[in-house]
Amino acid sequence: MKKNVIIILLSCFAIQCVASDGVYAVANIPAALLVKTNVVKRLEERNFEITPNNKTIYKRKVVYTILNEQGSRWAYLYAGYDKLSNVESIEGQLYDATGKKIKSLKKSDIKDESGSSGSNLADDDRVKWYNFFYTTYPYTVEYEVSISYKGTMFLPAWTPQEDNEMSVQQSQLKVSCDSNNSLHYKMYQYSEDPEIVNEKDIKTYIWHVQNLSAVEDEYAAPDWRRLTTSVYLATEYFSLEGYSGSNASWKDFGKFVYSLTKGRDVLPENIKQKVHSITNGLVSDREKVTKLYEYLQQNTRYISIQLGVGGWQPFDAKFVAEKKYGDCKALTNFMYSLLKEANIRSVYTLIRAGDENDYLIPELPSSQFNHVILFVPNNNDTIWLECTSQTIAAGYLGKFTSNRSALAIDESGGTLVRTPVYTMKDNLQIRHAKAKIDESGNLNVLTHTSYQAEQQDRIHQIINRLSKEEQIKFLRENIDLSTYEINRFNYEEIKSALPLAYERLDITANNYATITGKRLFIVPNIFSKSSQRLTINNKRKSDIVLDWAFSDIDSTEIIIPDDYTPESIPQNTVLKSPFGIYTTQFNIEKNKITYIRRYDHFGGSYPAKDYTELVNFYDAIYKADRARIVLLKQ
Amino acid sequence: MNCKMSRILILVLLLYKTSIAQNKNNFKFGNISTKDFATAVYPIDSNASAVVIADIGSCTVEGNTKGWFSIINKHFKRAHILNKNGFDIANVSIYLYTDGEAGEQLDKLKAVTYNLENGKIVETKLETKSAVFEDKIDKRRKLKKFTFPNIKEGSIIEFEYTTVSDFINSPDPWEFQGEYPVLWSEYNFTVPAFFTYTFLNQGYLSFTSKSQNEGTEVYRVVVPGGASANERYEFSSKYTDYKWIIKDVPALKEENFTTTINNHIQKITAELVERRAPLSYYRYVGNWQNVSTQLLDYEYFGKSIRKDNGWLKEVVSSIISKTDTQEEKARNIFYWVRDNFTCTNYRRLYLDQSLKAILKAKTGSVAEINLLLAAMLNVADINTDPVILSTRTNGYTFTLFPMLSQFNYVICRAKAGNQYFNLDASEKQLGFGKLPLRCYNGEARIINENGKELGLESDNLTEVKNTFVMSFIDTAGAISIALQKTAGYAESFDLRNDISAHGIESVENGIKKAMGNDVKIQNFGIDSLKQYELPVFVHYDADLGIDKSSHFYINPYFGENYKTNPFKSAERKYPVEMPYLIDETFTFQMILSDGYIVEEIPKALMLSLNENNDCLFEYKISNTSDNVSLRSRLIFKRTVFAPEEYELLREFFSTVVKKQAEQIVIKKK
Repeated sequence: MKKNVIIILLSCFAIQCVASDGVYAVANIPAALLVKTNVVKRLEERNFEITPNNKTIYKRKVVYTILNEQGSRWAYLYAGYDKLSNVESIEGQLYDATGKKIKSLKKSDIKDESGSSGSNLADDDRVKWYNFFYTTYPYTVEYEVSISYKGTMFLPAWTPQEDNEMSVQQSQLKVSCDSNNSLHYKMYQYSEDPEIVNEKDIKTYIWHVQNLSAVEDEYAAPDWRRLTTSVYLATEYFSLEGYSGSNASWKDFGKFVYSLTKGRDVLPENIKQKVHSITNGLVSDREKVTKLYEYLQQNTRYISIQLGVGGWQPFDAKFVAEKKYGDCKALTNFMYSLLKEANIRSVYTLIRAGDENDYLIPELPSSQFNHVILFVPNNNDTIWLECTSQTIAAGYLGKFTSNRSALAIDESGGTLVRTPVYTMKDNLQIRHAKAKIDESGNLNVLTHTSYQAEQQDRIHQIINRLSKEEQIKFLRENIDLSTYEINRFNYEEIKSALPLAYERLDITANNYATITGKRLFIVPNIFSKSSQRLTINNKRKSDIVLDWAFSDIDSTEIIIPDDYTPESIPQNTVLKSPFGIYTTQFNIEKNKITYIRRYDHFGGSYPAKDYTELVNFYDAIYKADRARIVLLKQ
Repeated sequence: MNCKMSRILILVLLLYKTSIAQNKNNFKFGNISTKDFATAVYPIDSNASAVVIADIGSCTVEGNTKGWFSIINKHFKRAHILNKNGFDIANVSIYLYTDGEAGEQLDKLKAVTYNLENGKIVETKLETKSAVFEDKIDKRRKLKKFTFPNIKEGSIIEFEYTTVSDFINSPDPWEFQGEYPVLWSEYNFTVPAFFTYTFLNQGYLSFTSKSQNEGTEVYRVVVPGGASANERYEFSSKYTDYKWIIKDVPALKEENFTTTINNHIQKITAELVERRAPLSYYRYVGNWQNVSTQLLDYEYFGKSIRKDNGWLKEVVSSIISKTDTQEEKARNIFYWVRDNFTCTNYRRLYLDQSLKAILKAKTGSVAEINLLLAAMLNVADINTDPVILSTRTNGYTFTLFPMLSQFNYVICRAKAGNQYFNLDASEKQLGFGKLPLRCYNGEARIINENGKELGLESDNLTEVKNTFVMSFIDTAGAISIALQKTAGYAESFDLRNDISAHGIESVENGIKKAMGNDVKIQNFGIDSLKQYELPVFVHYDADLGIDKSSHFYINPYFGENYKTNPFKSAERKYPVEMPYLIDETFTFQMILSDGYIVEEIPKALMLSLNENNDCLFEYKISNTSDNVSLRSRLIFKRTVFAPEEYELLREFFSTVVKKQAEQIVIKKK
């Protein structure tokens, strides 16, 4: 019986292996796969062969039909490699619309280039790439690549529909694994279990999909990787340049990471003394942490060097003490060592930084991280430290790493923890503006704005990353006024776990108010005009994820020239929706306009059916933000 | 002031009639004292986050063991880091190039960080064995990268290295100016008497000192003998040591409306002009006629484009089989190359593969694609010459004499019938006889026996845009418009590229989004999208809904106005360079139904930048009780404006923005 299964499998894949003329003809694509797409993945076979000595051979055959210019980026073949992997072979064929073979890839035309992002001082990333650069659409490319990996720590995930605008005819993932090393996996949008074939000591898993249509882009949709079929892989055991580890649990994975960091916390004598001279006399641990963190910030900088196992193992504390630089691992480990010397326990914590805060697959212990921060438990008075920044406040993380899972590492292994969430009340922006408009419509305005928590992230960058000259250049180019001068400006910061930044501006804006004959048009909302607008979509399918919460409060006073009377004053607005509350008040007394605006944006996940309400909510705000007062000259 | 003239005048040859007293520097590697740390704010720029104390480059020509000469370039730099934002200066990349045979090598690198700790200077050396990294960008290019250790606010850093380069004809220019202010920038070049280099200076600063000294040196060249013994030559020759110094060089940063900062940065470019005894005489830089002729005969440029090229005949004759006139033939060949070839490198002057290989590969650099086009046109008996130029981002070329190292792009000039056409087949969306904006950068050069120039000034290109809006208010108060827009040359090109990348819907959605959800867009269309010789024509109708208030305020531009002044910065340090001239016309007609009257309209306006009317804005408006008509026009007759004109220009645009924001007031009867 078992044998039969294998034979059937073999036979149905054998057909696809030989692309005799016509197999890839565009005419063979089901009509449903040609709707709203620029590229059709005709066939994909991904095979991972994990050998008993923990090497991985990854073979991928993929065939794309490029329907038009907009799909042409998929005609590229990229094969990335580094010191821990090698591109064994690349083959490719080009077919025309009828499926007739036109050309084969010439090995000498494969480009081999640095894959370094440029932000690293040194790394070993390289990429081999190729393109037929064919221009008669539609056409089909077929590539076969073989890559060998030393170790199984990083098995690429299978996401057959690589992009929502791609349709897929057939795709298959096959992983064969030595039975001594079991395969762990997590599936999304795949309802069945994989087919499993046992043969001798080899266990083979097969997943496949067919006929996936392209999906339209939707605003604020959940991450595509969660909406489409995908399978994430990890082996129970893995090795990395002489280190071996286990993915059996987060605890075990954590032990592996610990083994890479262990013994790297030895500080030179002079630094030890420095630690004591800083902390002696300080009473609370929080104070000590803050002072030592400031010492770190003043004495080190971020320099990224990622070579081989060095991509995963920190430079030791002595290195950082001497060179005064390091990457996130080295600097975090150094900070850990400083705290250890001061008898304060801290934990080296792996995290994935960036926009995706819902990245972690908790059921699949494995390497899912790209950054390291330091977690100081401090008897439930937790302090988080971002050790690569020379400027941010001790205990504050910012949007880069807030509100997500992370893996805290200590001698007993790994534990999942959550980083702080900054709520609507934390992310508060309050602006007071006092303005005067003259007879020719010119505006002079003084503002005082306070930005808190994630709202201050941007201001923090302006304060710390730009020189005075660059700050004024930035202000001259980034305020939504037509022609204006910055007469004076000033920034201040208050560093704390909920940091605050203050901004004072003195601005003259020519022709802010529009004059037509005897009428004066003024938009009292000078600075807080929302630019968010969406288009209606009656077929919205996915949930709405609004991943940031904030509260903006504006109060504006405008003195207008004498002898004007209002012809039209906007209505006060109250908009209440599941997404937030927005209110405005207009008032004119003699020659003074008062305008108050409050916008609370809750953030959160909402069902697809609420989408129209969101569109209307944003639309109403867009309009209300631009409401103008019309004044008539007496 | 005529800006174009001044631009040329700036690029003067450095002539040496008299020698100014030598100004010797006192910078020795490692010669740092505690005094050097004392300055926390430098008068040259109180905002600077780092200051370069000294930047000194010294080039000498020496005999090598490959049978020729190399340039030995010693580079010394000392900088003072004042705050964290200046830490970037501690990250150093040295670019090295090889063409397979000749190459560049890094030698004798040392780098030291100095910190003042408790009144004492503490040195930290760069470990050049373990902490210098190599990034092989590709086969030809690599970067040597390092960062200084032990950097703090207040650190002084110092490096010195030597590069040995086989590329002696066009050494890298010396840039006196950069991202940080420089207190002392010095360039030395020692030229043996058997070589002549010319030095071209660009920028707005004057030299603190320039001088030359003479001496005698022994030159040794070893010619590898292969199987037989090496030949050694040794001879003594006089040399001249040139030296240029500029003190207190301010930082230069890129502002908007700049073709490239490269056009403005203070620098000296050296170029080898000729060699003489004891070497055999040869002139490297001739006049354009010579250079042109040589290029025509050069294997990696023109040699094959005028040949008989029998192998091309079959494909050419199949392309032109159904054509009569020369122009039709030229068009068909151009279309065929444009549509079938993909350009993978837009900065290349020479062939890297044979025309045959290019024809087969269907990809190539801009030089390869356009030289193949030239060859094919010649096969069809359409006289075609290549034209070389420097693109806008590559910067202006020196016009005094030919310096090929400044050119980076090839187009074609075909004579079909009695007409000349400039052709570029490297862009999919570009029509016959059209060039991309990047080519309009001054003087290009036609490569034929005469070597004449071809003027491709930005002033030769006008962005002509026409917009017409018809508006109607019905008896119920519903406002509707019909908009038609003929996009300009550059806008058409950008729109076509945008649509080819994102689809036509993305343009329609962009307009829908800008108008809002309560506006209904209908009959949206874009014409001449694939007729690349014509401008793109956009049109749509919009229902803006019903306004029930007693007064309506209508801005006639419906989103087609300038909303902000493009000249943001309050001041300007170097000329404004616009990519093209502007001629924009906007026409508006509004008809009111019964029940509505025009209560008030904006005043007419005629605005001029100066007496020459170099920029004009016209706003003509009139009305009857049920009709408003507006015609506005914006004209720029010049593309380059001096820094002194900047304020005027900014004010001019400010008024344009203001006028275009004005409202028409409609009253319900």
